[in-house]
Amino acid sequence: MEKHKVIELRHLTDSSFVVRMERNGLEFQTGQFISVSLNGKVDRREYSVYSGEKDDYLEVLVREVERGKVSGRLKNLKAEDDIYVDGPFGFFKFSPQTFSSKKFLFIATGTGISPFHSFVRTHRGLDYQLIHGVRYACEAYGHSDFETGKTILCTSGDDGGNFSGRVTDYLYSQRIDHDTNCFLCGNSEMIYEVFDMLTAKGIPVSNIYSEVYF
Amino acid sequence: MNLSDGERVISVLNEAGYEWTDNEEEAGLIGILACSVRQKAIDKVYSRIYKWNKWKNHKNLVTFISGCLLPDDHEKFLKLFDVTFQMKDLPKLPEMISRYGVTTPVHLNVGIDPHNENIEEFWNVKPNYQSGFEAFIPIQNGCDKFCSFCAVPYTRGREVSRPSKDIISETALLIAQGYKSITLLGQNVNSYGLDKKGEEISFPQLLREIGELGKRMKREFWVYFTSPHPRDMSDEVIEAIAEYPALAKQVHLPMQSGDDKVLMRMNRKHNMEKYRNIVESIRRIIPQATLFTDIIVGFTGETEEQFENTRKAMEEFRFNMSYTAIYSPRPGATSHRWADDVPLEEKKKRLHILTEELRKHNRPYNKNLVGKTVRVLVRGSDRKEGYLSGHTEGKLIVRFATDDEKITGQFVDVKITSASDFSLEGELMEQVEAGSVGFKAATHG
Ligand SMILES: Cc1cc2nc3c(=O)[nH]c(=O)nc-3n(C[C@H](O)[C@H](O)[C@H](O)COP(=O)(O)OP(=O)(O)OC[C@H]3O[C@@H](n4cnc5c(N)ncnc54)[C@H](O)[C@@H]3O)c2cc1C
Repeated sequence: MEKHKVIELRHLTDSSFVVRMERNGLEFQTGQFISVSLNGKVDRREYSVYSGEKDDYLEVLVREVERGKVSGRLKNLKAEDDIYVDGPFGFFKFSPQTFSSKKFLFIATGTGISPFHSFVRTHRGLDYQLIHGVRYACEAYGHSDFETGKTILCTSGDDGGNFSGRVTDYLYSQRIDHDTNCFLCGNSEMIYEVFDMLTAKGIPVSNIYSEVYF
Repeated sequence: MNLSDGERVISVLNEAGYEWTDNEEEAGLIGILACSVRQKAIDKVYSRIYKWNKWKNHKNLVTFISGCLLPDDHEKFLKLFDVTFQMKDLPKLPEMISRYGVTTPVHLNVGIDPHNENIEEFWNVKPNYQSGFEAFIPIQNGCDKFCSFCAVPYTRGREVSRPSKDIISETALLIAQGYKSITLLGQNVNSYGLDKKGEEISFPQLLREIGELGKRMKREFWVYFTSPHPRDMSDEVIEAIAEYPALAKQVHLPMQSGDDKVLMRMNRKHNMEKYRNIVESIRRIIPQATLFTDIIVGFTGETEEQFENTRKAMEEFRFNMSYTAIYSPRPGATSHRWADDVPLEEKKKRLHILTEELRKHNRPYNKNLVGKTVRVLVRGSDRKEGYLSGHTEGKLIVRFATDDEKITGQFVDVKITSASDFSLEGELMEQVEAGSVGFKAATHG
């Protein structure tokens, strides 16, 4: 694992934060994840890269998981601390030119928005829609970096979003063109339900890409 | 993989003047090539090392450990073993053992190198093959796939391909020595070469080079490879197998689950449509090939409906063999942090259902071979008294009566007389002389 110096920690809510660290020449393709550890040995965890391919720093978006071993400790990081990074890994890669249809649907729960944030920071002018499911409107992580009118925030715990309810409740009534490339990221429960819904709407399995966090 | 690693360790120690003993209590040097992938295997390591460390009270004993280790276990073993090393540093093992006692204990490059630098030094060790007729050739180390149930990317590091010229010369040497079965080994053999970004040949090209070697050397032998990942399995690979007689007509294609959603959670990066297309290509291009697979039952959250999709897939693909495992969380793997929520009894039931499904297809397939003559590589005595057994090119197990043990390691033709669900029985027809080609080719199984 390579040592990276923390540049800053940005707290987005009480429990979620962005760790910005030195990039140290790490090359990745947007959508990939890195493996992060505090001591370079045991207890490493995967985090999708939140920053763009061309940014000169590296960022991850983390939510502190209750009784979690690593995420809570990451929250205590300060500028100048060292963390250890391995990677990049994974095949949830995104390069728009490789798709024949240029229509994209990004569906995320919680910090699952992270790879999509990296997608839009890297590739400007995409034809996309982001559907983001969270409990409270304050968890609209990095929405200002997405284009206005292209995001739907689904909130299940308050009425502060564009839609009150879960991602699946929103999707239920939506028409989706069959040639849309659908990217799903977050918890497996949402991914399973959305997968069933999309296939029932006639989207071919080969147009569905997923990254399961837990 | 550990078997192949072991052959190289024995070779290095032989060179250094050590002699192998089967008797653990007689040994002055004992080592373990561990595998952290299964918790049970690691538990065994602990019980062994505690025993050996007790023996040190009354005899001189040096212990070493290497292999597939998770960083966590590695740390603990540092305190328990005299020598620890990474496989890539194997050539330095004799020196480390001789240094033991001067600067005790000796731990070379503590930690796991994810980039597998200098792994070539390990590959360059000439192995001490444990068999005179079948051998394993590592072609790659590590894995980049990060399936959520597997810890290999953390224990063996990133995918690194061995230079093709070395693989081909090791293969040529083995063929010249009369080896009959050669298995190319790697965690993801068909992504061979991809890490070298254009500077190394691809896996289908490697297969073709080995196929050409077979043609040039005019010897009969079977080359297998394991395991490929469906994600990188192309028609090019299948076409190469079809074209060259030396490439065995047997494909091991791990499916893991027959349900798209479970495959997503397993982070397999292939779906059933992709898998189905590959199987169709295999059936179309090499219809005589046998098909083997790996399946995990009872993975985190696997519902009855999802399991039923796996059963249906087994029915559809008619595998000749399935290495079906009951899911157990592996330390270091992502899914180790997820709930292992399918009860053991249910997992056992699912395993049983799949075994019965396998039987259902195998029975008629094997029965169909009765009366036909198949070529068999004889591997040794069978459990049945007075019988030897071996396998066909398609790795189907065949036993036959003979008292001539000397034919172990040779090709023979066997006429199949009866078939059971998982093996065949037959009569020895004729022995095929070593090194010759152009026999009446046995075309079945
Ligand atoms: C490919 C991949 C990419 C990932 N990317 C991100 C990312 O960008 N941002 C991020 O915050 N997390 C991400 N994760 C999850 C992350 O790796 C850790 O699992 C998470 O931070 C919890 O680690 P921990 O050590 O604190 O908890 P642990 O001690 O590992 O315990 C975690 C427990 O909480 C559950 N859990 C895990 N993650 C969550 C979660 N987010 N919310 C609720 N429960 C959870 C697990 O099932 C487990 O039972 C990713 C996971 C994978 C596999």
